Amino acid sequence: MLGDLNSYLSLAEKIFGILGTVIYLIFALVIVKQVRTMSKDVKDKFNGILISFSYLHLAVAIILVFLAVTVL
Amino acid sequence: MSRSIDLDKVAPDDPIVTKSDFAKGYVETKPVEAEKNDTINNNVFEDLNNKIYGITGHTKHSLSSLLINPHIFDFEERDDDEKIILVARPHWATNISWILTTILLVIAPSLLKYVPLLGSIPQKFQFVGILAWYLVTFAFAFEKFLDWYFDVFIITNKRVIDIDFDNLLNKKFSEANLSMIQDVTSEVKGVAQTMFNYGNVLIQTAAEIPEITFELVPNPEKIIKVLEVLREKGETK
Repeated sequence: MLGDLNSYLSLAEKIFGILGTVIYLIFALVIVKQVRTMSKDVKDKFNGILISFSYLHLAVAIILVFLAVTVL
Repeated sequence: MSRSIDLDKVAPDDPIVTKSDFAKGYVETKPVEAEKNDTINNNVFEDLNNKIYGITGHTKHSLSSLLINPHIFDFEERDDDEKIILVARPHWATNISWILTTILLVIAPSLLKYVPLLGSIPQKFQFVGILAWYLVTFAFAFEKFLDWYFDVFIITNKRVIDIDFDNLLNKKFSEANLSMIQDVTSEVKGVAQTMFNYGNVLIQTAAEIPEITFELVPNPEKIIKVLEVLREKGETK
């Protein structure tokens, strides 16, 4: 009985974990799109670095989804 | 004499360039009068820039809140013959609150080991949780920085412009011609603004947008002086 409850809980954790990280991944994609749009509108010295950071953020968000699927 | 096809294409106003001129690399692009005007305009701009440098001083860093006559900065709506004279962003001091919050968020996971219950959470869960925490912290700081970096107030030789991105999703572009400016005032309120000398510059215009506000910009009185110089000069072409 307790074993069943634990397995249900761990399944719920996994589902919530994956759902949360996927939503975060969408947010990271929005950031990339926005930084690109803003960089097109306002051009300055550090735009390239900011775009790189947004892609780095997206890459880590993808890793997080992968970890949520495999580790949790 | 037989006429060649090339000769048929020569219009009456085209400059006549001989073969030897081509050999020397001669290409006539502008009439002499236009070159003279360019020289006069360049001198006018140099004079104007010197006046503005006299008021504000030179920009020390590209991430400075006040950029004078920037060479790299540009914006999409700029006309070809429009020159950027001043770019202002909110004062650096406006970033202090989110920088402090970020530092606290970075330190927070290291304090969690003092919470006894959290020790029972499996190691793999802790790892994913901490990674997610730092990712959210980074996103928070990055978004705040972008908010500051892309919130720009521009003064060109033709107009004043306010470009603002709300929550990274909504772009707001306000502009008014220099000739439409009716009144310019500044306000410095509170301890922080007085200490670091930053505040709002309120520009009343006769344009469609009745008021443009440069928010929390450094040295508002200097920005007003720059606007005064430009209004005295009139639209410089």
